[in-house]
Amino acid sequence: MDNDHILKVEHLSKAFFKYQVLTDVNYTLAKGQIAAIIGPNGAGKSTFFNLVTGYHHVTGGHVFFREEEITNWPRHKIARIGITRAFQVSNIYPKLTTYENVRQSILAQKKKTLNFFTPAARLAKEETLELLNLTGLQSHKHTEAGILSQGDKKKLELALALASKPDLLLLDEPTAGMSSEETHETMELVKRLNEEIGLSILFTEHDISVIFGYAKKLSVLHQGILVAEGTPEEVRRNKEAQQCYLGDELC
Amino acid sequence: MADNNGLFRKYWLPLTLLIVAVILPHVVPHFWVHVFNEILILGLFAASFNLIFGYMGQLSFGHAAYYGVGAYTTGLLMVKLKWPLLACLPISMITAGIAAAILGSFCVRLRGIYFAILTMAFGQLVFYIVFQWYSFTGGDNGLQGINPPEWIFATNLYYYFSLAIVTIAMVVLYYITESPFGYTMRAIRDNSERTEFIGLNVQRYMHINFIIAGMFAGLAGALWGPFNRSVAPDLCNWQHSGHPVFMAIIGGPHHFLGPMIGSVIYTFLNAFVTGFTEYWPLVSGVIIILVVLLMPGGLFGIIKTKGYFASKTTAMADANRADTGGSQHG
Repeated sequence: MDNDHILKVEHLSKAFFKYQVLTDVNYTLAKGQIAAIIGPNGAGKSTFFNLVTGYHHVTGGHVFFREEEITNWPRHKIARIGITRAFQVSNIYPKLTTYENVRQSILAQKKKTLNFFTPAARLAKEETLELLNLTGLQSHKHTEAGILSQGDKKKLELALALASKPDLLLLDEPTAGMSSEETHETMELVKRLNEEIGLSILFTEHDISVIFGYAKKLSVLHQGILVAEGTPEEVRRNKEAQQCYLGDELC
Repeated sequence: MADNNGLFRKYWLPLTLLIVAVILPHVVPHFWVHVFNEILILGLFAASFNLIFGYMGQLSFGHAAYYGVGAYTTGLLMVKLKWPLLACLPISMITAGIAAAILGSFCVRLRGIYFAILTMAFGQLVFYIVFQWYSFTGGDNGLQGINPPEWIFATNLYYYFSLAIVTIAMVVLYYITESPFGYTMRAIRDNSERTEFIGLNVQRYMHINFIIAGMFAGLAGALWGPFNRSVAPDLCNWQHSGHPVFMAIIGGPHHFLGPMIGSVIYTFLNAFVTGFTEYWPLVSGVIIILVVLLMPGGLFGIIKTKGYFASKTTAMADANRADTGGSQHG
């Protein structure tokens, strides 16, 4: 009861050799919240995600998931404990079909991947179809994932992350490469997941309408430093945030 | 009905091969039965190698080590302890599996060319141990007098025995490749990074696969000794590790039967060509160059692209395109 955060980051820093990419970032995400991290290219948004999910080695600071410190855990353990992510550049299984992609992630979540003798084709049929329907990929289920359109690859990216039944979902520019219609559909799905099953979501985005339309909390990163934080309204009025990122047209 | 059709489509090739294999000894001369027996044993060896190459996406250039461990386990048990062959087969799988577990634990930390080089280095390590340890392995003399038991002593009978064991092993391997574990291997081949982010310990899975591949190589090796009446350290050598690589490349690593078909072509040609000339390596070298340049993906690769039997995925994707009447997404 004492603490209702799902993700807490303390003094997080990352240096690649002598280049400081992230400096002393403190960040807290409340359970069930949907929040965004914004900032110009190179601000450190993806690095932040990479540190939380174990993709990069943390060089300073601590990452907590609920009460547990997960700093520098191996990637698969972080995924198992309940944090999954969708990548900015789609990171899928190009030679498997869309259906097989999603099924693979579901079987991993259900701990069925050490089953040697049941044909995979017989397992997790319903769950796989359900998730394909949810993400709008049902008509492409037998297509090799490598030849999907950019937008569909991003949807598959989201499906792979959701298949792990995470408690915290990290989305790195989830709608990049999507048409405006697809962007709307995808973000509505994300919003529904947040509202209906209470999934905590943290995303990065460049699309201003997506940021202000869906995030309840905004944090602005600039050159690896967290410069502003608050509700969308507060951030919109924040002088520093305007200078760094938002530009004049929003003020 | 559609289901029966699907089953036929899926299994007509292996069934035809099996029927041909059963009939063969009755229609071909003695010498060729030997060759076909060799095809079977090396085909199983290549199929086990392909778990690592075609499914996991790593090139092992030391797979003969596990084949050799299996061959020597059966050879030693039969010659020194007079064990029955049937008891030696599972023991050979276990010893080869243990060797693969130990050496593989280092190899699976690496990828690509580094993986290939380390597997090769360990393969040579096993070769030199076998080669030098005269008191135990007979060194470069090898082990002689590994005779199959009486009930399968005749050439044809040992052929049928091999056929039975190899068929069972191939069915088991097929099940493994179609299982969730098998798909996890394809996932690791396609994108090992993503596989970590869906919560799987990639290194551990690779290690298990390496052990399974080693065990079945050991089984193939165990069949070799009684077939050849002897084993020699060359079975562990790097040239011998090259055979399954060639077979998988010729037949096609992305089809389950590719390595076995590769073994048919490679072993048959070997026997055929050595009847005329001693320059078999020259011929096999030319074949490999032609395959790599003209039909990447091997025999099955070219059949697939020419559409004689379009792959499951493409056929279904086509059907899908047809019944949605063009995609709604632009």
